[in-house]
Amino acid sequence: MIRLEGVTRRYGDTVAVDDLSFEVAEGEVCVLIGPSGCGKTTTLRMINRLIEPTGGRILVQGRDIMSLPVEELRRSLGYVIQSIGLFPHLTVAGNISVVPRLLGWDKPRMAKRADELLQLLGLPPDAYRDKYPRQLSGGEAQRVGVARALAADPPVLLMDEPFGAVDPLNRERLQTEFARIQRELRKTVIFVTHDIDEAIRLADKIAIMRDGKLQQFDTPEEVLNHPANKFVHDFVGADRALKRLVRVKVSDVMRSPATVLMDAGDIGMREAAGRRRFTYVLEPDGRLIGWIDTRDIDRGLSAEDAITRVDPGEASVRPDTSLRDALSRMLGLGFRSIAVTDEHCRLLGEVTFASVEAAMSEGDEHIAAPVEADAG
Amino acid sequence: MAGPAEQTHIDRVALVGAVVALAGATMLPFVELRPNRLVPGDLHGLIAAGPWAFALWVLVAVGFAAAFLPGVKPRLIAGSVSAVGIVAALAWALGSAAETLLAGQTPVSRVSIGAGVWVMLAGAAILGFAGQERTRGARWRLVAAAVVLAAFFGAFHLGGLERISLVREFEVRASSFWGLLGNHLALASAGVGLGVVLGVPLGLLATRNRRVRGVVLGVTGVIQTVPSLALLGLLIVPLSALGQAVPALRALGVRGIGAAPGLVALTLYALLPVVRNTYVGLSSVDPAAVDAGLGMGMSRSQLLMRVEFPLALPLIIDGVRTAAVLLIGITTLTAFAGARNLGVLIIEGLGQFAPDLILLGALPTIMLAVAADATLSAVAKAVTPEGVRA
Repeated sequence: MIRLEGVTRRYGDTVAVDDLSFEVAEGEVCVLIGPSGCGKTTTLRMINRLIEPTGGRILVQGRDIMSLPVEELRRSLGYVIQSIGLFPHLTVAGNISVVPRLLGWDKPRMAKRADELLQLLGLPPDAYRDKYPRQLSGGEAQRVGVARALAADPPVLLMDEPFGAVDPLNRERLQTEFARIQRELRKTVIFVTHDIDEAIRLADKIAIMRDGKLQQFDTPEEVLNHPANKFVHDFVGADRALKRLVRVKVSDVMRSPATVLMDAGDIGMREAAGRRRFTYVLEPDGRLIGWIDTRDIDRGLSAEDAITRVDPGEASVRPDTSLRDALSRMLGLGFRSIAVTDEHCRLLGEVTFASVEAAMSEGDEHIAAPVEADAG
Repeated sequence: MAGPAEQTHIDRVALVGAVVALAGATMLPFVELRPNRLVPGDLHGLIAAGPWAFALWVLVAVGFAAAFLPGVKPRLIAGSVSAVGIVAALAWALGSAAETLLAGQTPVSRVSIGAGVWVMLAGAAILGFAGQERTRGARWRLVAAAVVLAAFFGAFHLGGLERISLVREFEVRASSFWGLLGNHLALASAGVGLGVVLGVPLGLLATRNRRVRGVVLGVTGVIQTVPSLALLGLLIVPLSALGQAVPALRALGVRGIGAAPGLVALTLYALLPVVRNTYVGLSSVDPAAVDAGLGMGMSRSQLLMRVEFPLALPLIIDGVRTAAVLLIGITTLTAFAGARNLGVLIIEGLGQFAPDLILLGALPTIMLAVAADATLSAVAKAVTPEGVRA
């Protein structure tokens, strides 16, 4: 889909990008990462010819980008930048419609498309389409920036630190949303960041660069498990095991726990628990109420008194939560396991400390499964 | 702004206005009665205006009230009444003084406006400004303008204002005055127009090329420092040579004297504000917007027309406004090089030592400049895109 062959960019005597070659398949997210000045942004900007390569060639959908009129090329590559660059004199809808207008769409089609995209990005069209950029928060503005890049449905998205200027909480939300939208749209994405966590979370392929040279080009799992050299090893950081958990979802490791219905009574509860010490207690419709410690029952407490009631929003995770988030929740609550529930608080399973530990160790079968691949 | 703390303080702006108006009413001559239009005569105080003098004193007292009254609204009303009232009453007071003083004098006797009148007008302007700070609405300004116009119209036709020397000078020159005014406006407009036609592209070039920027901003800046009269003089020789050498240009009016050197000089003066504001306007467009626009596939000209110019336009218009105000004033000087406009009246007035003739050239020039300023400010506001309005 996108292929770089020996791409080089020189500025006088300095080489910003040095003989760079890699290929990104259709529908993949390729994250370019490295320290400042490593050439990642230069590489991105060469793909839409905001910077012209001084050597090598770049192919998009099999065609050399130099063979296309530059404006036509750029209109087929959605472009999102850290500083967003919304046009302050245009409304949100006007900003989203920039490329459609360049392509000569008619007004109703542009309006419909703008509303569709606002919806997709979680901005209610009625509230947002007529706003001006200065009326938006940073997170909202960047959503509009993404919507604008998607407007003409380009097969490729080029994103230059798109979430870099947003606060950490909003960044994580935007990352989650981006992953969701990407599952739906399956664009081929080149994504520049300096945030290794963001890279591991979002990438299908990571290209790690240093001084204009490619250090390693691989899946996040491979980069974590088998760093190609000391630079990559150091760049990824000492907490590689923990980072690996970002790539594993709760649904990959959860198991069915012992459960009992609330109306089972003391004996019923004791029987349901079998030899396990803890048993989840549920409403008849499957909603989580809490759990009981079977030893309390043995000591003669009534079921009603033995139940530890919990707030499911607090003490449970969702199947698509990353294992790292699940771990951090367990550590925060001081539990050795945590319940997995759906959006209606119905119990789906549980994740234990032991399963997290297993996932942390190298070569675990779950690690090979990318976060996005098997969702929905 | 209307906090209780402020109400206990005096309004210092209004106080200054009232003091200035008081000084004009009491310490300076109101009118001058002269045996003819050229020689100095006797100075008369405000008392020459009879009952209107009393009215003006009362209005000045109202001006003081605007500084001391408790509460924002009473102050506002007092300040507005005082400002508008002083200007309107002055028209009638001048007429009244002229009629009284000219009774029994020879037909060539003149009553000229004295320094006190101008000072009182200044005081009224300050009082009006004190009120305007708080009233953003344009309604009271319309009312004020209507009252002042009605007062002048009435005083002119009923109150003897037409006997003031300034009006007599106008009557003598009535046949040529409007032509001179028209020429003045035409020459200044042509200078602004050429300044825009040359200045906007130069400003654009300055944003695109660092070397061009240095040259363009440097040269236009230096031009601005050349004294106007010197520039006109310096243009006479090359322009007359050019007119001599190229008959076609000569037929178009390119000569060493007349409107040609004036137009060249005015265009040069217009360049700096237009070039500088175009440059600043275009270069203050967010670089991220430019990057995004290019990255999305806008051509350079699409980016310029759809993004950069709309965002820079208010600043560019503001540069045009500065140029227009500047040029309307400088145009009077082109009369020294033979251009016929309001400057002619000023030069003749200087030559004859006829102060009222100087005024007849100067006052309309000032009014043109003020009108151009107001009009172009409104245009700049109107072209400011909604999304970037403060």
